[in-house]
Amino acid sequence: MLARLRGPLTDRRAGLLLGAPAVAVVLIVLAMLVFVAIQAWPTFQHNGLGWLGDGPAPTGGTVDQQLGSMVEGGEAPPPSAYAIKAWPLIFGTALTTVLSIAIGIVVSVLAAIFIVDLAPRRVRNVVVPVVRLLAAVPSVIYGLIGILVLVPFVNDNLISEGQRQSVQNVIPLTGPGLLVSVVLLTLMVTPIMIALITDALESVPRGWREGALALGVTQWRATMSVAVKAIRPAIVAAAVLASARALGEAIMLSMVSGSNGYAPRIQDGLIFLFEPLRPLAATIAENTESINSAALKSTLYAFAFLLLVSCFVLSLGSYFIKRSLRAQGAR
Amino acid sequence: MSRPATESHDPAGSDGDGTRGAYPPPVRRIALDRAPTVVADDPAERPLVSPSIERALRPATGRERLRIDELSIFYGDAPKPAVNAVTLPVHEGEVLALIGPSGCGKTTLLRSLNRLIELTPGARRQGRIVLDGEDIDGLEMTRLRRRVSMVFQQPNPFPMSIFDNVAYALREQSRKRPSKRDLLPRVEHALRRAGLWDEVSHDLSRPALRLSGGQQQRLCIARALAVEPEVLLMDEPCSALDPISTTVIEQLIHELRSELAIVIVTHNLQQARRVADNVAFMYLGDLIEYGPTEELFERPRAERTREYVGGTFG
Ligand SMILES: Nc1ncnc2c1ncn2[C@@H]1O[C@H](COP(=O)(O)OP(=O)(O)O)[C@@H](O)[C@H]1O
Ligand SMILES: [Mg+2]
Repeated sequence: MLARLRGPLTDRRAGLLLGAPAVAVVLIVLAMLVFVAIQAWPTFQHNGLGWLGDGPAPTGGTVDQQLGSMVEGGEAPPPSAYAIKAWPLIFGTALTTVLSIAIGIVVSVLAAIFIVDLAPRRVRNVVVPVVRLLAAVPSVIYGLIGILVLVPFVNDNLISEGQRQSVQNVIPLTGPGLLVSVVLLTLMVTPIMIALITDALESVPRGWREGALALGVTQWRATMSVAVKAIRPAIVAAAVLASARALGEAIMLSMVSGSNGYAPRIQDGLIFLFEPLRPLAATIAENTESINSAALKSTLYAFAFLLLVSCFVLSLGSYFIKRSLRAQGAR
Repeated sequence: MSRPATESHDPAGSDGDGTRGAYPPPVRRIALDRAPTVVADDPAERPLVSPSIERALRPATGRERLRIDELSIFYGDAPKPAVNAVTLPVHEGEVLALIGPSGCGKTTLLRSLNRLIELTPGARRQGRIVLDGEDIDGLEMTRLRRRVSMVFQQPNPFPMSIFDNVAYALREQSRKRPSKRDLLPRVEHALRRAGLWDEVSHDLSRPALRLSGGQQQRLCIARALAVEPEVLLMDEPCSALDPISTTVIEQLIHELRSELAIVIVTHNLQQARRVADNVAFMYLGDLIEYGPTEELFERPRAERTREYVGGTFG
């Protein structure tokens, strides 16, 4: 039976058989992108480039107020109902993603070096499975821990009364915000990065390391300048995978970000870390019940479009970076 | 047993059988058997591969650079040391070949000369190694490994360009990152000494891993030479290479000999004979015999040496 199936499966047929799903996936993704773009079109059309901007829209108010007034527009809203300047949400998304990935890269590379080069076998036999387990923890659990533990901790111990008062007319500081969001997001994306980078580091031939050591460089330099350098493509791949996860994280960030369409201000110094925000994905998740408002619907699709395009750009970028690194022989 | 076993004498009892069985080991047999494809079959009439490699017996006259003094290496709980109280001198301008059956401790001995053995968990050392009158334990590790540089059995160029490979150690040892232009003369010099310059000079930015095996090994030699070592350690540098590349590298060893001391581990007796000035024969961790190449091969004094050398030369 099996032999009969195997017999007529020529390379050409196998190619078609395997190629068909790949083509189907590409088509589905393209269709999705086109559909989302069409749905998002009205809001882009009404706002122009101002859509990406900051500050009050022509109709006034913060992003959250703009979103709120869209709900009242109903199914056939006037053009003014579309008015929005989405910068705070975009900034919140970029900020949480970039920070958590940046921290994640450093932490995961160091952790992988520890696991592969330094950890005694017994420690390693515990750490590796635990890391893989952590990578599979549902994000809502991180959100719960954030709300129950981290947010009260930040509110009670880290934010001083002086800090609270200095910005009280602009934004209330209650615990949830950038710091808790980034900490939890980092915690969420780092395990998978550690797992991927550990695998890559383990596949680095011993000979490269020994070769470097035999040339009189220190262990640390041998690791950094040869082993880590050699696995840069894997680090890029891990970072992109983690970015996609961070960009799309909605529930957890909705729980711990303070869910406020506010762009944290770096010029506020340390307070910056405690200021609330709300990324695009969380905004989508929180507004889905008001989808029968045409203006809001189009706006949410626009958020989705932005996230989709970001992921495509990340994947493409990583593809080209990896290609140029591999041309030099990195793996 | 594809090689004709023409034993000139009968080793006594079961011990003799055991030793015959122990070497040469099957893996290396291939390398040994393959070598004659470039060399005539009868060792007595064998023309040396290249006239420049041919040379008269030359006693090592240079001053002593490296002295291995009662060196023993133990691995973990193994009762018998992998290297057992070996004493050997290495002179300036000589090629010292370490020969012996697989597992006799050649690699272990070589790796202890630049303290690379300390990377192996559980490896312990007794005895001293002296470089130019100084105990190597007293030298800074990074300094030692630049003075005593190493080429490995498997070519191991880094996944970088040819230039970056040779410049690697130079860059690592300087505080401020030197520019490519500053490095080029030294990179070129190293590549020339390794006999690779003419083949790669047109494109130094090529990935090193795209080179052929023989070129890769010469690149590794260039990389090791770039730090201007006093002693060059080579662990079976040709065992992973084809006969032509082997010839090229042997020629190279011959040319480099005047500038530095070379210790080469080889499994290939013909190779030891072609490139070495002095030969040390090891067996099960013991140094059995040490002496000028010609003498050791033609008039071995120890019976084990006679057996081992005789195994190939009939
Ligand atoms: N890392 C190690 N741990 C334990 N024993 C080892 C290790 N490396 C080598 N040995 C043992 O030491 C002996 C000498 O090995 P080696 O120096 O590699 O021999 P050679 O290079 O002459 O083939 C062998 O018996 C080998 O089994
Ligand atoms: Mg060996």
